[in-house]
Order: sequence, then structure tokens, then C-alpha cells
Amino acid sequence: MTQTFNLPDVGEGLTEADIVSWRVAVGDTVEVNDVICEIETAKSLVELPVPFAGTVEELVAGEGETLEVGQPLIRISAEPGGGETPPASRPASAPAAITPDENSSGGETRQEGSPDQATTEDQQQALVGSGPKADAPKARRRTRPAALDLVDLTGLEMGEAPRRGAGGDFADIVQKASPPVRALAKRLGVAVWELVGSGRNGQITRDDVERQAQQKSVSRESAGETPPPSLGLLYDGPREEKVDVRGVRKATALNVAASASTVPHVSVFKEVDVTATMELRSVLRDDPSYQGLAVSPMLFAAKAIIWAARRNPQVNATWHDTHYTLCNYVNLGIAAATPRGLVVPVIHEAHTYTTKGLAAAITALTTDAREGRTTPAEMQGGTVSITNIGSLGLDYGTPILPPGQASIVMLGAVRTKPWVVKGQIVPREVMTIGGSFDHRLIDGDLAGAFVSDIASVLEQPGLLLG
Amino acid sequence: MSPMRDVDHMNDFQLADPVPVQLLREDGTLSEHPQFSSYVEDLEDEVLRELYRHMVVERRFDAEATSLQRQGQLALWVPALGQEAAQIGVIAALRSSDRVFPTYREHAMALYRGISPEELMGTFRATRHSGWDPHTYDFNGYSVVLATQTLHAAGWAMGITQDVATGSLPEGRAADEVVLACLGDGATSQGDAHESMVFASSYQLPVLYFIQNNHWAISVPQKTQSRTPLAHRAAGYGFEGIRVDGNDVLATYAVSRYMTEQIRAGGGPKLVEAVTYRMGAHTTADDPTKYRSREELEEWKSRDPISRYRSWLLTGSKVDQEYVDQVDQEAADLASDLRTAVLAMEPMDLERVFDTVYAEPHRQVEVEKSWLKDYEAGFAEEVDHE
Repeated sequence: MTQTFNLPDVGEGLTEADIVSWRVAVGDTVEVNDVICEIETAKSLVELPVPFAGTVEELVAGEGETLEVGQPLIRISAEPGGGETPPASRPASAPAAITPDENSSGGETRQEGSPDQATTEDQQQALVGSGPKADAPKARRRTRPAALDLVDLTGLEMGEAPRRGAGGDFADIVQKASPPVRALAKRLGVAVWELVGSGRNGQITRDDVERQAQQKSVSRESAGETPPPSLGLLYDGPREEKVDVRGVRKATALNVAASASTVPHVSVFKEVDVTATMELRSVLRDDPSYQGLAVSPMLFAAKAIIWAARRNPQVNATWHDTHYTLCNYVNLGIAAATPRGLVVPVIHEAHTYTTKGLAAAITALTTDAREGRTTPAEMQGGTVSITNIGSLGLDYGTPILPPGQASIVMLGAVRTKPWVVKGQIVPREVMTIGGSFDHRLIDGDLAGAFVSDIASVLEQPGLLLG
Repeated sequence: MSPMRDVDHMNDFQLADPVPVQLLREDGTLSEHPQFSSYVEDLEDEVLRELYRHMVVERRFDAEATSLQRQGQLALWVPALGQEAAQIGVIAALRSSDRVFPTYREHAMALYRGISPEELMGTFRATRHSGWDPHTYDFNGYSVVLATQTLHAAGWAMGITQDVATGSLPEGRAADEVVLACLGDGATSQGDAHESMVFASSYQLPVLYFIQNNHWAISVPQKTQSRTPLAHRAAGYGFEGIRVDGNDVLATYAVSRYMTEQIRAGGGPKLVEAVTYRMGAHTTADDPTKYRSREELEEWKSRDPISRYRSWLLTGSKVDQEYVDQVDQEAADLASDLRTAVLAMEPMDLERVFDTVYAEPHRQVEVEKSWLKDYEAGFAEEVDHE
């Protein structure tokens, strides 16, 4: 009978090991616990003792090879009547790195009806081998368990079903908000699962919590919960106040003044049924590989803009009075409202990004912008920009073009609205899109074609596949 | 009285001799010690043989467990290789009713107390939280969290003194019991160890702190953890501490006997620092070659606790070669039994873990339990698909 010794997990939670050297060769006789090889794991060099006696029949992996935990390492042929075998009474669910081989004559077979039978189809399949904690078929999970709802978050009762907020599901929150931050949120009465973290990898920071608390208190004040300001003034403060203009505010002022006074702006708008896009968005949001990335309407709009710019090259250009430059690439500016003012950081070569890459870039860019880390250099070189006023709850507006750019696309809020589909009024997710364009090289018809193309993609995101 | 004169209640111990007490030299010859030789002079051959047998059996057991872990049969193993004399020396000096609060490496002590290989392996096979009933063996479950057991020990000892004070000592318990608090050199840096010693001293508790200084707290050398012999710390708490050669089973036994006598006589807590060496890895998940030298290991090999004791027993005709062979055979049999027992161990019904936390239903436990069921159901689905 041939027995196979599968690579066990010799550390805690190791997944693979390299074969450094074999101490036995095919044909050698081994006793239980004889060292057969030396392996190197992420943690250590380890000498492996063999769990049964017999003659070495096969060294399955060569020196220098990397084996995953649970893969066959060595096959030992037991001497007739001699050698040690795993007891037949071994419970089927008990862990073992020892696998009797089905395809050898006289070999032991697994007990009928054992849970392991599901894997017996594959003769070479390692039954087990990753230590007592998990066997091979259990090592890979398909389903994600519900989040462990043990963390006492403000506003959520113990045992209440985990819900999803802007920051993701419960497990996300537990990962993204450290205990001190959760404690702060509790103290300030902030529901952390409603926050989108601005820290590294979407970590929710103390600032995020404090900002939310501040916004809440502002809205409470505006709801009249605080005492009215003193007579004759709108709010508590000096009657008139001189505020110096500097930094981002100053740069914004100079830019928009120059742009508005030199570039003739033309604006067009279109209402779009974005139901399909919103469905796609929820699919990506549930995709673990998008975890921590902001999957917003902006992401799909960005993809749509790149698609539409390919069909309408003239929108992606810069005016120079005597000539204009057509850009056969997209450097996408993302307008972001920050406490310091408006900044428009640029994703260079945005047309080369995958959807996920773009999501990551947008997430990183907006996080940096909000935290005031955007450098002037990062705001240079844009060819087309996008501004999401929908996040402010607005439907449409006429943005000012960033200097040197001929197009800026505006996104409104996504709202559930009555919509006529095949003669029936049905509720659909609807959004207004549009923007401002440099009328010197973009007429209303081209602006309209460009916006309509963007609208087509948002209506049918499948177009992106083409 | 001026506060400066308020020293009447304070103990003033001489600091322990930094040179460990030794009765049996590395070469297997006996040396004379004015205070401790008397504790072993009259020991019967039977007792001497038992010390040997237990050390040898545990070493073989330990090696088999290491192999079983390497073969994927144990989640983890914590080798005690090299520390057999320290463990057997102290446990043999106790009464079987003296309560032991072990770390996670006290295998020789556990086997000495009669805990079976199967019971001992439950935790390491991940099939039991604790494999034995602490009350059956007066041997608490292994403490994985460093130094916590020293607090448990102080609490247990406080219970004994309260029982004695109130005349409510349970039947079968002696008034002069000793509580053994085991800890390692690394655990002495934990706050828990400090608190335990402060309380033991304040309440003059019957605790023997037994530090196995095996020189390495995983990868941190002992010299980093303490600039002074660990035994000297006892003086700071106001009780006696002694350094002993932890690789000398006779010296460890003698010093432990002396200390327990003092404690039983109402002398309050005591501390023994057994100077020994962890010959193996911290656990099977550790690679000691990364932080300590081959030379150091070789040096300690020459101080091996078993070979020096065997040499003395054979030279003095306390045992013959036949006995030595017989013990080796017993150890091999035990290793084989261990292998069989481990392979046959069945996983615990996990619900038990939840159902034995609180006496009454508990919301959080229910949430955790249903989460686990959900989690396990995820595996079942996968198997179905394949």
C-alpha cells in the first residue's frame, strides 16, 4: 500500500514551503519520524519527519520547488505487514496530513458517507494537509460570512442586522475605524458606517468623525436647536469681518476670473436614466477586489467621458488663439471641494486605466485633495475635467472651465424619478449631466453630441465593452 | 516616630547568591553544599529513579509531539526540551495536593501529576480548550497569556488563607498548602507578575514563584530583560529568592523542598530562579537559529540535565543499564501511545464553547454562535459545489 505525506502547515497559518533538500532517495527505507527533507517556510527552516515507515516510492517535488500546504510531498510504500499505518478508526473529519492512496492496490479507503467523500473523485487530491485546523476542501471559502456584529457602534443595537452605509458593511467599518476612532464616534454621536474614510486605504480618521460631528451640529443649529444669535446680527460674530484671500482660494479666484473673462462658455444639459449604471455600481461595490475604493457615479462618468472623447476628439483640446491642440489622450481633471477651496487634481493618461485602476486613482486623488495634500504639480496638464455637484445634492449648474481646457462635464444628483419606459411611467434612477465648453472651438451641436454620448454610456454601460 | 524610622515591619533579605546552587556538576559528580546537600542525602533510590524516569519519558514525549506537529497532526507544539530537570525537581518537591499554576510549557510537571498524553494534547490538537480537569490533578489549565497564571496563583493562595482564617477549609484540603506559580524569564517583565508578587508579599501568601529562566523570551535574550539576576527581584518585594541550577534535578529538588518548608511554616511567598536553557524552539512556529548561535547551543548541550544525572546514577549504582534501557522502552511506548491517541482524537463540538461561557443565555454569545454557524455553512456550500 502506498501512503502519501502531504505538506503540512508547520508554522501557524503558513500556505507554502520551498523544498530545500531531500535527505532520502527513492528506494530508501524509512522509519516513522525519520527526517526526510528540509523545507523553508516564510518563518523558518524546518526538518520534516515522515509519519510512516516503508520504502520511498516517489519524491513528488524536487529541490528548489515550492509546494502549497496540502500538496503531496512524498509517497511511501509500506512493507508488507510492517510499518505504521494511520489507524482505520481515524475519524473522517479528524485532521491528518496522511493520505492513503486510492489508486494503489490494497490501500485503505475512506469511510463510507464521510464528509471527505466529496473530494474522493480526484485521485490525486490531497485529502488534508494544512494542519489540524482546516483540511484542503475547507481551506478555500466561497461564501463570505455575515460580518461579526459584536462591535458596539452608535445607533446600532446589539444583534441588529448589520447594514451597509457609505463606508461599507460592518466588517469594513470594523477594519476601517480603529477602536479609539469608534470610541470618539460614540462620544460624539456619529454613526461611523455613514462615513467614507479619508485616511490611507479608506481608513476612517478622527478628523472624519469630528468633521461629521461638526456638520451635524451645524445642521442642528440651523434647525433652530441652538439659541438665536444676538439681536441685529445674522450669526454670532463681528458685524463685518475682513478675510484675507490666499492659498487655494486665491488660486481659484485667479483661475475662474481669467477663464470666465476670456473663454466664452456654452452649457448644455441632458437628463439620463442611469438605472443600469447604478446596478453595475452595486455589483462592483460588493466585489471584494473593489473594497476600500470609492465606486461612485463619477467613476462611470469618467469611463463614459473617455469613451465619448474618442468619438468627439474636438472636445479634448486646448485653444491657443491662432491654433488649437487636439489631445489624443485624456488627462482627466477631478474638481474637488476641499476646506481650503476648489482644487482640480489630474489623472494623467486616464484612458489607459482599467475600471478598477481608475476607481483607485479617483479614490486616492480625492482623498489627497480633501486632506489638502494635492500639490500644484498634480493640478497641471488636464485636458478634460469633471465636477460632481450631485454630491452636494444639486441637479445642474454651469461650471467654469479650468484654464487651458475646452470641456468640463458636470454630474447632478442621482434621483429616483418617474420615467416613461415603453409608454409606462416607472420609477427610474435619473441624473442630469451636462457641462461647460469653450465655444471658440466647440459649438452647441458638438457639445450636445459629446454629452449625448456620455449619456448613452450611463444608460447602457455595456457600451464600454465595445 | 519619624517616618524615616518606620522600618520595623520590613524584611531585609540578603540578595540571592548570583552563582546558582548546584549539587550535581556537569560531569555527573556530586558537590557539597552547606545548606542544601542534606535535602538529597537521604533520598531513597526509588525516589532518585523516579526523578530520572520522569525526565526521560517527558523528553521522548516532547520529541514525538514535535514530530506530530511537523506532520500536520498538531496545530502547535511548545517544546520543553532541556528544562526537564527544573520541572521535575520542583514538582517532585511538592505534595500532590499543592496547586500548580503552569505556563504552557510545563509538560514534565503535567505528566508527573498523572495527566494523560491525550489530555495534554487536547489544546495542541485544537480539539479542547483545556484537556484536563484542574481539580482532578490540582493542576490548572495551561496559561497561554504570559504571567496571568501568577495572578491566578496569588488569588488561589489568598483563598486558602481566607479559608484558614474563617475556619472554612474544604474537606480534604490542608491548611499548609503551597501554591506553585510557574513563570518564565520573559513573563517576569509582565505587569501581572509584579502585581502578583506585590499581593503575595502584602498578604504573606503561600506562593512559591518558580521561574524557569531558559534565557530566551522567544527572541529576546534574558540579559535584555533584566540587569540583575531574576532571583534578586524577590528582595524588592520583601521575600526570599534563590538561584538554582535548573539543569540539576537534585539541586532544584533540594531548593524547592527548602522553600516549601518555609512557606508551609507560614513564611510567606518565596521565589526560585531555575537557571536552565530552552534547547528547542520557542514553539514549532519559531526558528531559533535566527537569533541565537550554534556555540551557545553547544555550550548548553554540555550541561544536559539528563545525561549528567544518568551518569551519576550509574556510577553510584543507583540504577543499572537494564533500568536505563527499560525506561527508554517505556518512553518509546508512551510516544507510540501518544501518536495513536492524537490520531484518534475527535474534534470538540464547538457549540460547547459557547454554551459553557455563561450560566444563562447571553446576547453576545448567541450572536457569535450564529456567526460561527453561518461561517461553517459557507464551507458546506463549497463542498456541495465541487
